[in-house]
This record gives sequence, C-alpha cells and structure tokens, in this order.
Amino acid sequence: MVPECFSFVIQLLYFDMTSDLEGDCWLHHRIIFSVGYPFPSQGIIERDETPMEKEIALLHRADFEFSHIFYFCRKGMEAIVEDEVTQRFSSEELLSWNLLTRTNVNFHYISLRLTVVWVIGVVVRYCILLPLRVSLAAIGITSMIVGTTAVGQLPNGRVKNYLSEVVHLTCSRILVRALSGTIHYHNKENRPQKGGICVANHTSPIDAIILTNDGCYAMVGQVHGGLMGIIQRATVKACPHVWFERSEMKDRHLVTKRLREHVADKSKLPILIFPEGTCINNTSVMMFKKGSFEIGGTIYPVAIKYDPQFGDAFWNSSKYNIVSYLLRIMTSWAIVCNVWYLPPMVRKEDEDAVQFANRVRSAIARQGGLTELPWDGGLKRAKVKDTFKEEQQKNYSKMLVRNGSVGSLSAETESD
Amino acid sequence: MALSMLAQESGSVTSEQIEHLHRRFKQLSQDQLTIRKENFDSIPDLEFNPIRGKIVHAFFDKRNLRQESDGLAEEINFEDFLTIMSYFRPIEMNMDEEQLDRFRKEKLKFLFHMYDSDHDGKITLQEYRNVVEELLSGNPHLEKESARSIADGAMMEAASICVGQMGPDQVYEGITFEDFLKMWQGIDIETKMHVRFLNVDTIAHCY
Repeated sequence: MVPECFSFVIQLLYFDMTSDLEGDCWLHHRIIFSVGYPFPSQGIIERDETPMEKEIALLHRADFEFSHIFYFCRKGMEAIVEDEVTQRFSSEELLSWNLLTRTNVNFHYISLRLTVVWVIGVVVRYCILLPLRVSLAAIGITSMIVGTTAVGQLPNGRVKNYLSEVVHLTCSRILVRALSGTIHYHNKENRPQKGGICVANHTSPIDAIILTNDGCYAMVGQVHGGLMGIIQRATVKACPHVWFERSEMKDRHLVTKRLREHVADKSKLPILIFPEGTCINNTSVMMFKKGSFEIGGTIYPVAIKYDPQFGDAFWNSSKYNIVSYLLRIMTSWAIVCNVWYLPPMVRKEDEDAVQFANRVRSAIARQGGLTELPWDGGLKRAKVKDTFKEEQQKNYSKMLVRNGSVGSLSAETESD
Repeated sequence: MALSMLAQESGSVTSEQIEHLHRRFKQLSQDQLTIRKENFDSIPDLEFNPIRGKIVHAFFDKRNLRQESDGLAEEINFEDFLTIMSYFRPIEMNMDEEQLDRFRKEKLKFLFHMYDSDHDGKITLQEYRNVVEELLSGNPHLEKESARSIADGAMMEAASICVGQMGPDQVYEGITFEDFLKMWQGIDIETKMHVRFLNVDTIAHCY
C-alpha cells in the first residue's frame, strides 16, 4: 500500500542517517543536542530505596521524633520535585530527536542543515502521508460499516461467523495501514481462544485495532454517540460485541453478569478488556481493576509496547481531544509496536481477584519491559483514596508506637 | 537570561536542573506565575506523608523565604520556590569548614522552623506535642495519651541534653535554636537531607 511504502522509505532514510553517523556524526550529535539534556523516563532524582523502618532505625537516637520528621521531610521534598505517578500521564521523553517538533521539548536552534531536514520532514508528513492516510482510514471505516451491516442481515450460523471474521479482519488491516502501523506479533501460539478473556495494557484507542489486526475479538465498552456509535451499532449486528449503556456501566453486577454469560458460551469470541481503565504513557503498567478478574474463565494476557522513535501513540486525553490525537498519529512517521501473546493464566484456589490481577500485571510488565506501579490509573483525574492513605499512616504509627512506647515506659519507670 | 542569574545565586544548582524545576513549577501552578497552598494537593505521593501540612507550610513561611517580615506568604513565585529547594542542595566536594558549617545551620534552621509554629524562636512542649500528634495522626487506635507521653518523654531527653540536670523549681521553657543545634551534634544531616539530581550526561556516539 502506498503510505506504507512511504513510511518504509522514511524508516530506511532514518536508519541510513543514523548509521551514516558513525562515520560522520554531525547529524546525530546535533539531533541529540537539540533535545537538550535527555532525561531517562525512570526519573531525574536519585531516590534512596531503603525501606522506612531501616532508615529510621539508622537515624534512631533517644530523640527519635526529630529524626522521623527529617525522614518525612526529605520524602516530601522528593515528591514535590518529581512524583512517580504524574509523569506517567505525559508523553515519554526521547533520548534522541526523531525530527518531530512535538517531541522537541527543549528547542535549541542548532544548524541550517538540521532545519532543512526537518522542513522536508514536515512537508512529507503533512502533504504526502497525511492525505493518503486519511483517505485510507475513510475507506476502512466505510467498508467496516457497510460490510458488517451486510453480514448482519444473514441468518445466524457458520457462514455468518466466517464472513464476519473476514470483514472484521480486512477492515482492521486497512485501518492499520492507514496509520502506517508496523506490528510484530510474538508467540502467536498463545493467541486468545474462544471463550477466554484477553487483557492488555492500555496506551491509546488504537490498541484495539492493533489487536484485532491479528484475530477476532468481542469488544467491550460503552455506547458512544456519533461516528463511533454508528460503527458500534453496525458491528454488533455481525458479531456479538458487548456494548453497555452508560447507566448499565454503573451497575457492576450487571456488567459482570453479562460478561460471565458471554464467557460461558464457548463458541463466542474472546473478550478484549483493558483493566487499567485509562490510557497510560507506555512506560509503566498501573493497577489493574479487579472487576475483569472476577468473571472467571481463562485469561490470556497480552503485552503491547510501542516504539517511541517513530511516533508517540499515547493519548493524553486531558490535553488533546480525539480528533487532534488522530491527526497527530497520522502525521507521525509510523506506529511501530511489538505485541507479545503470553501463556494463558487461571486464577488459583487460594488467590483472590486482586492478587490474581497483580500476578497477570507482573507478567505483562515483565514481558513488555515496563515498570510496575501499584497506583490507580484513576489518579489522572481523582485524588488518592483515603483508604490508601490510612493504610500507610497506620504502618508508620505502628512502628513509632513500638519504638516510642518502649522509650516512654522506661522514662516512666525512672521517674517513679 | 534570568535563569542563569538564579543559577549563580543558588550556588551549585545547574541550569538544566533549574529548567527541570521550572517545568515542575509550571506543572504545579498550572501555568500561572505563582503557587498557592492548594496547588500542592495535586501530588499523589505527598498524600501519604503525615507531615504533609508542615512541609507545604514551610514553603510559605516567610522566615524560610528569607524575607524580613514574619508570618505566612499567600503565594510564592518561582524564585521563592527555588529558595526553598536550595535548602535541600546536596553537599559539594569543594566546600571548606566554614561553608559546611553554614550549610548545616541552614538546613537545621529549616527543620527548626517546622517545629516552631508560632515563630517565637523556641520549641515549646505544646508545639512538640503538635508535631508528634500530626506524625501519628493516621492511626485511629493510638490514644491521645500515648502520643502525649511520647512527646513528654522526648522533651525531657532534649532538656537533659541542653540544660543538664534541672533543679526541682526550674521550668524548661523550650528548645532554642542553639539547643537544637546541640541536639543534632554528631548526626551528619547534610549528607542525608538533600535531593540529589541524577547526573545525566549527553550520550557521545562519535568515536
């Protein structure tokens, strides 16, 4: 397909430039310096990871509260300078510039040559790639709506299922080409089977298209209005996707019941769920909501990792709306990602839903090379739940009382 | 540029660290020029800290901002933010005795101001109790009495270090800054009370 060829050529050129650089390193040097000082996504301050008890014990003298206040003071300052959570809700910073202005946070004018290269890049992306991609996307969406409505007219049966699969796969492939997506699937033998639940980490709305490119899933989600609503109504005729009304989403039991019914029927396609509940910037995996893990059935974890060099797939929904997000995606170089299918997991006898969720999350994080954070993705918009705060504070006071009551007891016996 | 001037004033803070802090300031202030107390509510990591209130308070304390007047500021700008952050500068290799001493005193003064909430230059028993209660505030099972007895016990220790044996009529008024310094003798906080930026070197790919 034409845009794919173009992006392939661009990728070649880019690699060419960077490999040229071993001999003539002016461009790479310039590219790196133009970003300014690269900050790795792990953070920019050195954090002391010794646990609270150990560190306080080290500082422990008779006047213990002074040392405690000092420990908390430092932790507080570290949190103010940089906190682990908020940085996950903004795009990852790149180590070397990929010629997109949007990733150039610290802009310094370096040289005329670089600017010329960048201008050529802009022209190629906006005038050549963008129109091609938009037209492909339009073709893809129209054919999906038309195709699924047509298949939906057929009576239920094997023919219908087969045709619906064909339609879904074809349209998905067209849409992936429209984004110039290059996807590498690993361990295809672990692909989700019928009657199972597929869980994956969530970075953007495109995740769903990336997965459906390689197989058919039953989507789960809220009913939307507009174009999205039309697509949803059309596709549900052909294939049993699970779309919830907004009011139904509030009722967790209803949701779980419907999903359970779907999973129990082994002839139905596997459901696709993103348990984080919100888009994270693809450097970490946040807390999985336990609802998906209470349904039962086999879980097929999938890890998705995007390569940030070619385009940033993360949707920062507080900064960009969906249209400007799609525009950014379609004017990047390409979307390159790796998808790993992990072996299926089942909940063990003695595990509850939360522990099971964490186990699945660790497997996904390990495979994708992402860090695990125990935080809730909902922190993007809401504040920390009081229950978490109390847990932490209880730990601390338990420790204090243990140390403190010993101290005060001895003081009392002395004064007697 | 204004930032480089600030860099010189703050001593060892490099300009890229200042740029990072500036970005963080803008994030906290939501692109305004000043920060108020409410802006600190948006940091999840800080919620767990029992003395969160005191830390945020310290940012607005005029004594820490090196202003002549007393009391609390309503809002702070980036320069004030940097002033507070400079209390947490890491120690440098090339500091001499006098500089080290001044460094240490500054950090201890910051801590002292945290305790001394009525700004009278002394930490009284009541102020000390307040701090301990705040530290233990998360635990509902801990009675007020235990918190009190912990505070009283520690205060007595402090008195014995600072004043020595007290007569039966003597009342210990409070810990002054000099006494506070005495208590911290021997503990090298200047190596621990800092936020150290990772040294990020640009990657050299040329041979």
